[in-house]
Amino acid sequence: MGYGFARESPALKEILLRIRPGRPAEVDHHIYESGSVEYRVQSCASDPHHVYLSLKMPEAGGGSWAYALLSEYVDEMAKKYRSRVCEIVEQPAESCELTVRIDLAKIPQKREMQVIAKIAGVPALVVSSQLRQHLSFSHQNESQRGICKPVKLTYHPCQSFFVIRQPCKIILVYPMRFKEDSDVIIATAFFQELVDEGSSDKWSKAPQGSWSPIPPPELRGELLEDLKTNGGFLTFDAHPRHLERKKLDNITWAFLKFYAFLKYHIKSTKCFIQRRMKRRMESLLEVLHQTEEQVDENVEELQGSKTVRNLRKFYKSTGLTRRRIFSIKIRRIHFPVRIHVLSCFRWRCVGIQKEVQVKRYIRLH
Amino acid sequence: MANTLRLYLSCIRNTLDAAMCLQNFPCQEVERHNKPEVELKTSPELLLNPILICRNEAEKCLIETSINSLRISLKVKQTDELENILTKKFLRFLSMRAEAFQVLRRKPVQGYDISFLITNYHCEELQKHKLIGFIIQFMEDIDKEISELKLSVNTRGRLVATEFLKQFI
Repeated sequence: MGYGFARESPALKEILLRIRPGRPAEVDHHIYESGSVEYRVQSCASDPHHVYLSLKMPEAGGGSWAYALLSEYVDEMAKKYRSRVCEIVEQPAESCELTVRIDLAKIPQKREMQVIAKIAGVPALVVSSQLRQHLSFSHQNESQRGICKPVKLTYHPCQSFFVIRQPCKIILVYPMRFKEDSDVIIATAFFQELVDEGSSDKWSKAPQGSWSPIPPPELRGELLEDLKTNGGFLTFDAHPRHLERKKLDNITWAFLKFYAFLKYHIKSTKCFIQRRMKRRMESLLEVLHQTEEQVDENVEELQGSKTVRNLRKFYKSTGLTRRRIFSIKIRRIHFPVRIHVLSCFRWRCVGIQKEVQVKRYIRLH
Repeated sequence: MANTLRLYLSCIRNTLDAAMCLQNFPCQEVERHNKPEVELKTSPELLLNPILICRNEAEKCLIETSINSLRISLKVKQTDELENILTKKFLRFLSMRAEAFQVLRRKPVQGYDISFLITNYHCEELQKHKLIGFIIQFMEDIDKEISELKLSVNTRGRLVATEFLKQFI
């Protein structure tokens, strides 16, 4: 599983590892994870042994369920590590639903990492408490089973989903909304694979998934805004055999993080496509550059022959010039007075061809 | 390579071989200007009849020739939405890097996915048969790449779906 889908909050883990017991430090961090869920980590210099972790959930607050779950979790931790590291504060911090006091001095040094990882899992526990309660409801109160109205859970403004309780199963419906067309297509390909793979016997223990471009009949009567999608609706049918108490935490977290999982898949697929395209472009450019190189080689060969030709021309021309200069000198020395009649003999004696100079046209009769 | 594709490509190769007889020709409208006539289309006497080679309705090649330039426009097959988006992405990616290819047009001709513009200068710089070879190689590679990408996206989807389902077991 990817780093982003771990139950332990990586940010909280890092902060807790930084704060050392006994060292006074002023810490006040506001962290947003899982959409609009806000965590606040506070530590005062006056009270260096305690760190306060407060959680604020705008809509999908677990309320009493979260409190019950958390107290159970804290007790379990105390039993396991034989030390009461965490304690729920009765009066939570301002505008927060729950506040947990962490006593850093009580963290056993040998198992520090384990305990901090466990504490970093507290936000996940609180966030998933409501969904966990819905999923475990059918399991716990079998006598109270019946068809209920869909419950809308919103952990992020654009990423809400519905939980519908039915006599024999719980249905989770995810309306899919994407910003880009390419996201819709990559996601649709993924849904197709998820449905195909999930329907095989190998995954009989996993909830069956199905995808439809139109809202399922169970959502009839819901607000039109909630049913407007561009990626259709993905539905999971969870039967009691899928929701065993042992696995419930993992299953809840998997359903809760489905949007994040999908987003991550789309993002990484896009990156993969980009990498492939870049590689292919380079290979295409290589073909073109090979052509260019070959042309350059040919040009160089031609230039070589041209140079030789030029050199020859140069030598020829210089020879001619010398000879011409020499002939002019002879002419000046031997024939200061030019006799036109003898000119033909003179050229013959010197052995230089006379240049033909057209001075005037001869009229043809 | 499929037989139909080979025939299609050899037809394009032969047509390009015949059409790529380009020479330097200055613009007749503007003095001291030298522009690709196939783009401007100012003088009809300098243009040859365009040739359209179709493999099927979705796959075709338009070759427009003029005295000093040649324009090749390609339409790549897109059988489904995934192929459509992959083709668009890939050809846009290449078009945005057109300067590296020299002969690639930044914007394709309307109704086509990608266009090349070859001038007499390109023919002088690069060998004619090598240039034709490049175009054919390009067409082959595009087809191959789109098919491979489609397969990879589906394979990745299956693997990710398996990873997701593993959480329930």
